[in-house]
This record gives sequence, structure tokens and C-alpha cells, in this order.
Amino acid sequence: MQGFVLGLSSGAVCAAYCAPVLVPYLLGEGRGILRNFLVLAQFLLGRLLGYLAFAFLAWGLNQSILRDTGQRTLLIGSAYVVLSVALILYSLFRTGRACRAAGDRGVANRLRGTWPALVLFVAGLATGLNFCPPFLLAVTTAAEQASLAQSVLFFLTFFLGTSVFLIPAPFLGLMRGVSALPIIGKMAAGLIGAYYFYLGLTLLAGGNYS
Amino acid sequence: MKNLLKIAGYAWAGACLVVVLVMFAGSEYLSGKLASATGITVSPRYSGGEVIRSIDHGTYKTILHRPVFDGLIGERRDGFIQVEWQPVTALPPLIEDAVDFTGDGKEDFSFRLDTVAGPGAITPRNPSVVALEWVVKVNQGWVARVQLRKKP
Amino acid sequence: MNPERATKVKKVQSRQSPGKSILLALPMMVLTLIMLSGGRIPSDPQKLFIFGVTYLFFNVLFFLMIHTGKTDRYRAVAFIAFSLLFVVSFITHMFEARGSMSLSHEKIILCEVPFCHLVIPMTLIPAALTKTIIFPGMITGGYASIASMFVIWIGASLALGRGWCSWGCFFGGLDDAFSRLLKKPVLPRIDRRWTYLPWAVLLAVVLTAAAFLSPTYCSWLCPYKAVTEFNEVTSFTILVQTIIFVSLFIGLVVVLPLLTKRRTQCSLFCPFGAMQSLTNKINAFDIRIDRDKCLNCKRCMKACPTLSITEESIRAGRSLLSCMKCGTCVDVCPTGAAAFHIRGTPVGEGLNGKRLLFLYVAFLFLAIFAASEIQEGLARIVRLITTGSMI
Repeated sequence: MQGFVLGLSSGAVCAAYCAPVLVPYLLGEGRGILRNFLVLAQFLLGRLLGYLAFAFLAWGLNQSILRDTGQRTLLIGSAYVVLSVALILYSLFRTGRACRAAGDRGVANRLRGTWPALVLFVAGLATGLNFCPPFLLAVTTAAEQASLAQSVLFFLTFFLGTSVFLIPAPFLGLMRGVSALPIIGKMAAGLIGAYYFYLGLTLLAGGNYS
Repeated sequence: MKNLLKIAGYAWAGACLVVVLVMFAGSEYLSGKLASATGITVSPRYSGGEVIRSIDHGTYKTILHRPVFDGLIGERRDGFIQVEWQPVTALPPLIEDAVDFTGDGKEDFSFRLDTVAGPGAITPRNPSVVALEWVVKVNQGWVARVQLRKKP
Repeated sequence: MNPERATKVKKVQSRQSPGKSILLALPMMVLTLIMLSGGRIPSDPQKLFIFGVTYLFFNVLFFLMIHTGKTDRYRAVAFIAFSLLFVVSFITHMFEARGSMSLSHEKIILCEVPFCHLVIPMTLIPAALTKTIIFPGMITGGYASIASMFVIWIGASLALGRGWCSWGCFFGGLDDAFSRLLKKPVLPRIDRRWTYLPWAVLLAVVLTAAAFLSPTYCSWLCPYKAVTEFNEVTSFTILVQTIIFVSLFIGLVVVLPLLTKRRTQCSLFCPFGAMQSLTNKINAFDIRIDRDKCLNCKRCMKACPTLSITEESIRAGRSLLSCMKCGTCVDVCPTGAAAFHIRGTPVGEGLNGKRLLFLYVAFLFLAIFAASEIQEGLARIVRLITTGSMI
């Protein structure tokens, strides 16, 4: 319960950081509301795995990775660079769905239909790595849990609390009738990707972006 | 109905002319009213935040603003605190200040400022204090921002 | 319309006799005299001369608009003069105050940076959620205060909609000027998908500004920093930003308008313009195309500097939401099918009256808004002529 409440209190901040990545993608895909919920689920899966990974680290490594500012900055910087490349590639290339008429051509065809989900997954992971105060508090609390299972459970409930604020996002699908929106979404994804690329490079070079 | 729409359309267009005239003639009044009605202010990330304390050193004052961690909703991990020294004409050549922004009676950082040459330096005493962001001379005196980071 | 019938369709006569033109322009002469002088005619001879020139400048242009029935060419003269003299006035002011165009750290700390309308889209979400403006300017008082620009923006949105971009924006005249230099376009075709870019820029800057609480368009993308003020290059970040905005200015404001004869910065990049398109929905004036008179010659489509007329929109009898109401299509239409229109009124009726009403609103806005910058710019030029220096 504590994790969920903590997540709720910080969810709006998470939504603000996630929006520049999620919104252009949802517009770019031009899907309906139900399909967008699937898209959101993929994004949240990336965030969840990021959180769970830290739950494990927090409990197992006694927060060392989070205490070391240099390592933390390198980690966020790398994530931003990967995210930006994914966004830019997404904006430049058609996200072709697997062609039914072509039959099952194996890995290449499946990947072409699936790789947009990788963009989301990476986006979720990168935006989830934002070390906001509630996240750090959650890490500390998780590290104090008696067992790994409790630590993971705490982070899981924290994650659910933060995700509540992202629920309205799929309703962007209401605008799918506007034919220009997918183009606008992809262009915006490219621009935001370029911005995150610069932020990531700055962090990797040892600076900070605050 | 058509005639009604026509009259409404022309009236609307005529009203646009009135809007232009009123807007320019009353711009000072209207902007003052807009500002007071909305209560809008400049973001503390630019203004430095509200002044919480002014310490009188006799010939000069140290002005302390509140720590700023303001985010879009809630607070961010990284913030700053802005400190000022005024007036520029009455500042000693070297200022060494112990700053307590938390109000717990303990020094959070000490600040050393050469008011002639410019460079400033801080010595953090509180783990939340990260580094000196910048120190600049302005008309009224010197202004410095110190980076802060919230600890869990 | 059948081309054979076309010869029988007379263009609506919007040209007026000199006498009637003066009568129709009289209210503008009175209004501009009152509004430009603020109730007090300058007594200083130089200021009186400059005031007189400015007053005559605007009223001669308005008279010519009424007399010739042409809108865009005279609008452009005033609009371009506004932009050029604004730049002259602004840059000389910077050199006078600080000795350079660099934005001083002091100005940012003291929150004395002039607020321009291009920032507005990025401030809205943070303002709604935090009741603060993410810009180091003054709320009221001083030059270009935040509240005063918001008042002007709200007034312009109500009165002109996106007509602001052709009758109000002090930057728009720059790419408008370059788009008129060549007789024919070197690059006649522009992929229509580029018209979506301003919306993408708007989305990107609004989201990133809200996330990072910083006006990202100003920091990273605004090409007009090249002719106003910019950060001194003291770090790698600022160097990258400088390269970007200089490149965008050269590309979008100078080269592309020259080659395409379109206002590429305004129609293919500006995020404020994209947002302002939405205000066309609540504006009294728009451009309609009378399908009964239309020859389908597509001259309007080819001439439109902002790509706001397409074959589809011609069939629908109107310009697109991005229309900046410059009047180019109205001027080139051989039959008067394309015309200024007032919502709620029948299309194709009372065209002269509707055009006149629109011109009164738009031209008055331009004259009042531009007057002080034009006078300031002229004063600098006079100083240059008489003393050899603008400062």
C-alpha cells in the first residue's frame, strides 16, 4: 500500500517526463483507443522492467549504483542516447506492418512489424530511469525490505501508482480521424529524439542537464 | 434566419475593430488587470524564488531566497538556492559568509566572494549542497546560485 | 466553371475612384492620428517629422489599397518596413545598452528579457499548472512585458486569427521580403507534408518545455535570435545552439523564401503560427472561394505564399486553417471568386464591404502596433545620416 501511495504522489512528475516520448509515438501510430492501450502497455513494460531491475539492485547491491553520481549519470546518459536513436529511426522509417500476402518470411518480416514496440520498450526504460525524489525514497524503502520478494513487490506497487497518470494517454486515439496526425507525431518524435540525443551526449561527457 | 446570421456576422466583424482599438488604447490597464487577475508570476527557476531572509552586516546585506525545487507538478530532484549581496557600492573587497538556508542553526555552506575580481567559491557543509552554479555582478550587487540536490 | 463562360464573368470591381477612396480612407486617417499620437502631437521638430512620415506612410498605403483594389502589395510594404525597422531599432538599442547583441547574464537574472509572442505556446501548460511563466521577463512594466504581449496576443487572436502572421508579427516581414525578390521560383514545388512540420515543432517544444520547465524553442530553434539577441558563446551547448539558429535563419528566412517564393519560416516551421491557426476557427474573417465564379485556373494556389490553398480546399470553397489572410489570392483571382469573407454572411455578396471591414481591422492593427518601432527605426536612420552613427 505504501508503495502504491508513494507512486500516486509522484505519478504526475513521471507523466510530465514520459509525455514528450509517449505522445508523439501515440500520434505517430494513428491507432484507435484500444490499440493505444496496448501501446501504453508496451511502454509501461519497459518502465516496469527498469524499476524491477533497480528493485533487484537496491536490495542486492545495497544502493551502491545509486550513490555513485558518476555511474548514475553514465547510465541515464546512455539510456537517453539509445532512446534518441530509437525515436529518430522511428521518425525516419515507415513502421511497416508484416505483409500478410508475403506470408511468413521469418525473422525479417516479423521484426519489421514488431520493432516499433522496441522503440516503446526503450522509451519506457529510459524515461523510467529518471531518479526523482520519490523514486529514490522508493529505492531506499525497497532496500530496507527483508527479502527480495518484498523489495520487488514494493517497486511493483510504486510502479502501478505512477502509471495511473498515464492512463489518459491512449485517448489520443480519439483524434485518429485527423490524417495529418501520424505525420506530425513522427516528425515530433524525430525532433524530441534529437533533443534527447544531445542531453544523453552531455551526460556521457560528464555534464548535467538540469 | 439568414438575415439574422448576416447581421450577427457584420456585428462580429465590427466588434473586431472595437477589440483592436480597446486593446491598444487600454493595453497598460488591461495588462495590469490580466496580471493581477491571474496572479501570474515569473517562474522561480528564473526569478530565484521568494526572499526568505535578509541578514544585515552593517554596510551591506546578504539576501537569501528560498530553495527552489519547483517542478511542473510537485518538486524535482535538483534545485538551487539564490543568494545576493547588496548594495554594490558598500560591499567589502572580500565577503566570507556562512549560509544557513534550512533554518536549523547549522551552517549549510560557506561562501567566499571576491567582490573586486569576481570569482566566488563555496564550501558545502550540508550533503544537499552540490556546487556553485554561477556568480554574477549586477547593478545592485552580486548574485550567486548554488546547486542543491534532494537526498532521500 | 466553364472557361468559355469565364470571359463573361466580370471581376467584382473593388477599385474605387480617388474621391471615394479618400472618403473611405478618412476614418483610418482620423483613427491613426489619434492612436499613433496618443493624443499628443510631438513638438520636437525631428520627432514631428518622423511622426509625420510614419503617419503619411500608413495612410498613403491604405488609400492605395482602397483605390487600386489590391491588398497584398501594399500590405507587404508596411509589413516588411515594420520588420526591417524593428530589427534596426532593436539591434541599435542592444549596442547602445550593452555594446553587443549578446544577452547578458545580468538581464536574465534580473528578469528583464523582452518577451516575444513566439514563447507563448510553451508557457501555457506550465502557467496553467504552476501559475508561473517560464521566461526571465517582467510581468508588467518596461519594454515588451509578459502581460502586455499576452494582451496583444489575445486581442490579435480575436480580431485577426492567424491574420497576425501577415499583419502583426514583427518577424514575418523578413521572410516575406526575401520571398519577393525573384520573379520566378527556382524551386517551385514543395512537398505538402512539410506543412505539418510547424505542428510537430509545436508539439515537441510544448512537451519539452513542460517537462524541463524551459522555453526550448527559444533556447534551441528560434532563427530570429540572429537579428535580435542571443547568448554569448561561452560553452559547447551555446555554440551548438548558435549554429542551429544561424543555420535556420539563413535557410528558412533567407534562402528558401528566395528560392521558393514562399514564406517558408512562417508556414513550414513556426510553432506559434501553427497554434495561431486554431484561432482562425474563432475569427470573424476568412477567405472563401465562390464556386460559381471560380475558373479552376489555380492561380490562387500557385500564388499563395503559405501553401494554404489546395485543389481540395478550392473544391470546398475556402482556404486552409493555416491561411494568414495576406490577400494574395484575392489579388490574383481573375474573377473575384477568392475574396475576404465574414462568417455568417452569404458567400459572394457584398465583397467590397467585407474587404473594407477586414482592411480596417487588419491595417489599423498593423499601423498602431508598428508605429513606434517604425518611428524608432527611422530616428536611428536619421541619426546615422546626420551624425554618422546610429547609436
